[in-house]
Amino acid sequence: MTSTDYILLAIAAALVAYSAFRSGPKTKKALRIALKQFVNVLPFFAAVFAMIGLFEVMLTPDQIQGWLGSGQGLLAPIYAAVFGGLATGPPAAVFPLGQYLLSQHASVAAVATLLIAWVAVGTITLPAEIRFFGARFALSRWALALTLSIVLGLVMGWVL
Amino acid sequence: MKKLARWSKANWLVWAVALAYIAVAVTRPSAAGRGALLGLQTFGELAATLVTVFVIVGLFQVWVSDEFVMKHLGESSGLKGLALGAGLGTIIHGPLVGVFPLLKALLAKGARTGVVVAIVSTWAIKLPMIPLELRLFGWRFTLLREGLLFLSAFIMAPLMELILGGDWGTRFRDTIEQE
Repeated sequence: MTSTDYILLAIAAALVAYSAFRSGPKTKKALRIALKQFVNVLPFFAAVFAMIGLFEVMLTPDQIQGWLGSGQGLLAPIYAAVFGGLATGPPAAVFPLGQYLLSQHASVAAVATLLIAWVAVGTITLPAEIRFFGARFALSRWALALTLSIVLGLVMGWVL
Repeated sequence: MKKLARWSKANWLVWAVALAYIAVAVTRPSAAGRGALLGLQTFGELAATLVTVFVIVGLFQVWVSDEFVMKHLGESSGLKGLALGAGLGTIIHGPLVGVFPLLKALLAKGARTGVVVAIVSTWAIKLPMIPLELRLFGWRFTLLREGLLFLSAFIMAPLMELILGGDWGTRFRDTIEQE
């Protein structure tokens, strides 16, 4: 538990308290909805996290480095988008990796793409997105985000 | 049996992941163990967030009226609605899966498709990470990247609405009501 967690829980508790103060029955209804939805998606969430763990182990930063380390030309941003989109590590982990890659003569475009795709694409959460919003929405957004991360990466490589 | 089939359809991922784990456990037992541990850890880190999110989803559904959401984030909210969504996405943090339930509730209450897309797009901006990025890449790289990420909300939202079609939101609400 971090301090952010305590703040979040405090906010939730304060909201519930205020809601209960305003109307008891409405609050009860709200909590029933919350519990029902939580229990409904719990198995799915458990599976998502189990999958995230598996990916973190199987797809290491070392492997990503091997693909992007030295001049791969125009292909590098595309690899970067695919890897960035698949990877699931914490955002704090990708920044040092990106800097290392730059020092290994990876292109700015590739590194920028990696940094953007890492947070913007979300291949691992795709099943969850499909479950909540349907396949059409999730797949369209995924494909668009992947394309956009390459475009933005190239823009950054061009500007800088 | 029928109940299990229906449950499996919604939770197919549970079976898929279980199979993946079995496959990895057979070939690389230690990797499977470490993966499970990492997953559990991520889940634990997120538990408080999830509790909060679902409590807010519940309160949101009871207290916030459809009219309110439609007025500020609905079909006619225009650029202001998108900007509001982009701002919201910038502030929220933690794994995106955690806020999916809340976004779905927003859609159900009549929010515009583009607004939800804008939130998801600018979610990629991590305010607490900016100092780290500044230190490692310098201010030009950082400002450009964060600026482009914010702009991407205004590119993604109209594109998604174009791809999905204008009535996607309405049809989505219909399917939710049937559930």
